[in-house]
Amino acid sequence: MINIALPKGRLGVRVYKLFSDAGYEFEGILDSNRKLVFENEALDMRCFWVKPFDVPVYVERGTADIGVAGKDILLERSPDVYELADLKAGFCRMAVASKNDFVDDPEKVLRVATEFPNIARNYYSGLGREIDIITLRGSLELAPVLGLSDVIVDIVETGTTLRENNLHVINYIADLSARLIANKSAYKFKGEQINEIIGRLLNNNDKDN
Amino acid sequence: MNNNLRLRPEEKAALSLRELYADKGCSFYRMSRFEEYDFYADKKDFLTSRNILTFTDINGRLMALRPDVTLSIIKHVRDIPGQVQKFFYDEKVYRVPRNSQSFHEISQAGIEFIGSLDEKNICEVIELALESLHSVSHGRRCVLDIADAGLIAKLIPEHNKRGILKCIAEKNIHELRALNAPEEIIKLMSPDLSLQEVLSPVIFDSLKKYHDEIHADYSVINISSLNYYNGLIFRGFIEGIPESILSGGQYDNLLHMMGHDKDSKAIGFAVYLDLLDLSERN
Repeated sequence: MINIALPKGRLGVRVYKLFSDAGYEFEGILDSNRKLVFENEALDMRCFWVKPFDVPVYVERGTADIGVAGKDILLERSPDVYELADLKAGFCRMAVASKNDFVDDPEKVLRVATEFPNIARNYYSGLGREIDIITLRGSLELAPVLGLSDVIVDIVETGTTLRENNLHVINYIADLSARLIANKSAYKFKGEQINEIIGRLLNNNDKDN
Repeated sequence: MNNNLRLRPEEKAALSLRELYADKGCSFYRMSRFEEYDFYADKKDFLTSRNILTFTDINGRLMALRPDVTLSIIKHVRDIPGQVQKFFYDEKVYRVPRNSQSFHEISQAGIEFIGSLDEKNICEVIELALESLHSVSHGRRCVLDIADAGLIAKLIPEHNKRGILKCIAEKNIHELRALNAPEEIIKLMSPDLSLQEVLSPVIFDSLKKYHDEIHADYSVINISSLNYYNGLIFRGFIEGIPESILSGGQYDNLLHMMGHDKDSKAIGFAVYLDLLDLSERN
């Protein structure tokens, strides 16, 4: 039995389509109800929705053999898992943004608002810049607009929200997309099945692109 | 049997491992639970967790509860020219496990071979690693992943070194390519890599009966391994236990850093017995 953790929400729906196109279907999984675990006995696979941020936890601790997580979450949590494939879905970027008229003063500690404190810390420590991290849970754009922070480190997809709030990207930190991750121990014993799943997912992906 | 007298899985496993190691001619090594903090402070890269539990003893010295056994053994053992000293231990160590917010007391058993090692000794240690896995696995499948840390040290460029090592540990081939990692390294990540490409002919032949259970797999190498390990490096897995339960390798570099003879070598491994309890609960 292969256990799969999928991220609840928009990315999860997109990723599930990759699975179903590759022949891995789970009945009722897209219905709007409260069910969280779906099994396909014929495939000997079980699939469950978890919060996107928690996918690496389920995989690292072996509750799920494989999972799909955004690269943003993998960079933030640095789980001890295998990152076996880039599923090339949900493309976006991790970026630093500020108000259009912001002028950085390198002598001051930079106030950084973010949902990803580890990514922000790693990025600025690489630049040798001292920062003050302000961890928020969403609506990041508000922070520089109201003067809570100088910049934000956040996911940028099209940049529309930034523009609407008179913000712009100063630097890109990383390219993000959905990645297939595997528990290291599970991969030793279920590697063949896991590789077959990846092969079929990527194969279909290539056909689509 | 009275439940109060029943041994916990990790205690049972520790006993069977002690028996195994004593049968193979290793001598029991007992050590103090404390060392001076400074001893560990400059070797933090070698420790799996960087946090060290400290206290001040009655003389005002800053002491540490042992986070690792290998370092203590290397510190206290004296070289005997021309000989191989074989030790085993069964100890508690104190560290913060990954994803944990507090210190844990962890049961660890293992062996260390120190001295004029030859390939026969290296085979012995790898065999003992496999036998250790079997001894605690209760019939579940076991795998020992093995790689040559020396080869990676030779191939890895200084530029992007950390990023490349991280990708190696993650089997992350798509990002290894994006980082322009040398093609030789990417080839080593192939799932079809044969054991012969990692083991010397002598070691390969003498481990013949275990070939199904030993896999050439470079993902056992991580960022800190290269500072200390110079030869074979390995990790053991048991089906149903979500992380590696055994880890070890040849660490001549560490031995020399700690003042041992230049021609002394060392190889050993540890088995993390607390993980057995985890597998019982799953």
